[in-house]
Amino acid sequence: MWVALVLALVASAGIGAFTFSPETMVRHIGQAFGWVAVSPSDVLGRNVFLELRLPRVCLAALTGAVLGVSGTLMQGIFRNPIVEPGLAGTSAGAALGASFVFVFGSTSALTRPLGSLAVPILAFIGAFAATMLVYRVSTSFGKVNVFTLLLAGIAVNAVCGAGTGFLSYIARDPQARNITFWNLGTFTTADWRGVEMVAVAFAGCFAISMRYGKALNALMLGEDEAAFLGTEPEKLILRLIIVNTVMVAVATAMVGVIAFVGLVIPHVLRMLKSSDYTFLIPASALLGAVMMSVVDIVARVIIPPAELPVGIITAVVGAPVFLWILLRQQRNGAASFYG
Amino acid sequence: MVEVVGVDYRAGGKRILDGVTARFRRGRFNVILGPNGAGKSSLLKIATGLLKPSGGAVNYDGRAVGDFAPAELARRRAVLSQHVELVFPLPVRDVVLMGRYPHYGRSPSTRDVEIVERALEMVGMADRHNQHYPTLSGGEQQKVQLARVLAQIWSYDGPAEHRYLFLDEPTASLDIHYQIHLLDIARGLLEHECTIVAILHDLNVAFHYGDAFFVLDDGRLAVEADDARDISTELIEKVFRVTAHRLSDPGGGEDIWRFTI
Repeated sequence: MWVALVLALVASAGIGAFTFSPETMVRHIGQAFGWVAVSPSDVLGRNVFLELRLPRVCLAALTGAVLGVSGTLMQGIFRNPIVEPGLAGTSAGAALGASFVFVFGSTSALTRPLGSLAVPILAFIGAFAATMLVYRVSTSFGKVNVFTLLLAGIAVNAVCGAGTGFLSYIARDPQARNITFWNLGTFTTADWRGVEMVAVAFAGCFAISMRYGKALNALMLGEDEAAFLGTEPEKLILRLIIVNTVMVAVATAMVGVIAFVGLVIPHVLRMLKSSDYTFLIPASALLGAVMMSVVDIVARVIIPPAELPVGIITAVVGAPVFLWILLRQQRNGAASFYG
Repeated sequence: MVEVVGVDYRAGGKRILDGVTARFRRGRFNVILGPNGAGKSSLLKIATGLLKPSGGAVNYDGRAVGDFAPAELARRRAVLSQHVELVFPLPVRDVVLMGRYPHYGRSPSTRDVEIVERALEMVGMADRHNQHYPTLSGGEQQKVQLARVLAQIWSYDGPAEHRYLFLDEPTASLDIHYQIHLLDIARGLLEHECTIVAILHDLNVAFHYGDAFFVLDDGRLAVEADDARDISTELIEKVFRVTAHRLSDPGGGEDIWRFTI
């Protein structure tokens, strides 16, 4: 899978409105560190590659990793394979929080003290509130009800969508177009600052998640059994919801809502190998990065010179998978997944 | 000894347990009996440390249950529930390995892996270790869960501390053969620094396997006895709301009970 990631990254860096050969890429990277002199004919290519293409490639891969891990964590918390940040309201909540900042600007009384962190912080507040609401509504006595979960997800998504829609309606025109476009997920606005933020959020949250692989496995048996095995399910769930929300909020604040990645990635891994979370968490980060890089390539080349929002592609691929899982769940009962 | 002292438990404005004191002594097969709704499961959950009582105390060998770190307590006691479902496919081996989670950090030791194998052999599921748990029958799943709790408090090579195994109506999904198989394994643990506390519904099974009895009735301890013969027919009839007939076993074993209503 590491090989696939490297290939996907190189391909993603090379393909697009500007095409870069691997040698050109190496030369530009060398120029960035001052190892290679920049010839006048090279300036444009160098700038496009270093300031536009490369951050975009990194942001896409990181976002894929975030969404993959997030899907895995949320399926562990909710003990159901249909959960992902798009479904449980996490992404929509983050989008609402973030568009608040986009519309009222980073200078309003509320957001000014937060400075450049205003977008991720408000996105986190929105995402956390939405996720907790869906979790609380769909859980009773330590059991998650799938139908309540789906309905609560629909309701929270609708409310957040309406809120975001309202904000874009009262916004001035250029902001509004940004919100709409960004609701479908896009990497066009990628810059190094965004890459930095997502990278830091992902690294921290991923490191914490890795410590909870065993506990998530135990949680598969139910909250009581997990407690008998020496875990503290309530603390575990709260911590993981926070960790998950932080990374999804930061990623969503940068690239917008990208649905179904968190659903498809763990699903593929469960089918290919195992549902063991000590395997799923790192593997879903890798596969998420690979898949998002590929999707981003498609988004760039499918209708040149325009670009397709990546959210459209992930939905086209992911929604049928979602329906298929739902159908199997209904036909065989929740217990006989992938068996 | 696991000691439940003067325990009250209230939930949703309802009194579930009322001043229950029970001492589950070491090396015994302790049986909790009682009709539906008498508070047996609540008592078991309180004794395992899962539920906090509204009043009273729970001690493990003289130490309050709340003083144990969760993983430390998990190395001392295990709980076999009635039925454990799994939504995701996981090989039998991985489910049993969960019993060793409180014993290792990142990756299992060779001893952990060996214990998993031996536990699977004990319950007769060694040849199924690669099969996915959700594809097993209810009875097979219960055997895997037994292997998991055996692995959790593995006692067969001289444990450093005494262990406790709680059984919450463990035989509900088993046929007669496996009921006996499971209870024989549990009984055998008594010789390996282990104490059993079990909720059992079948009084004949309970009196055959148990050597200390705690009869709950409406949240109170109705009687405590070390010998089934000390439990009167009248008490059983009153608590369980049945007419009981006690027949002596021509083979010389315990009395056989028959019930009508």
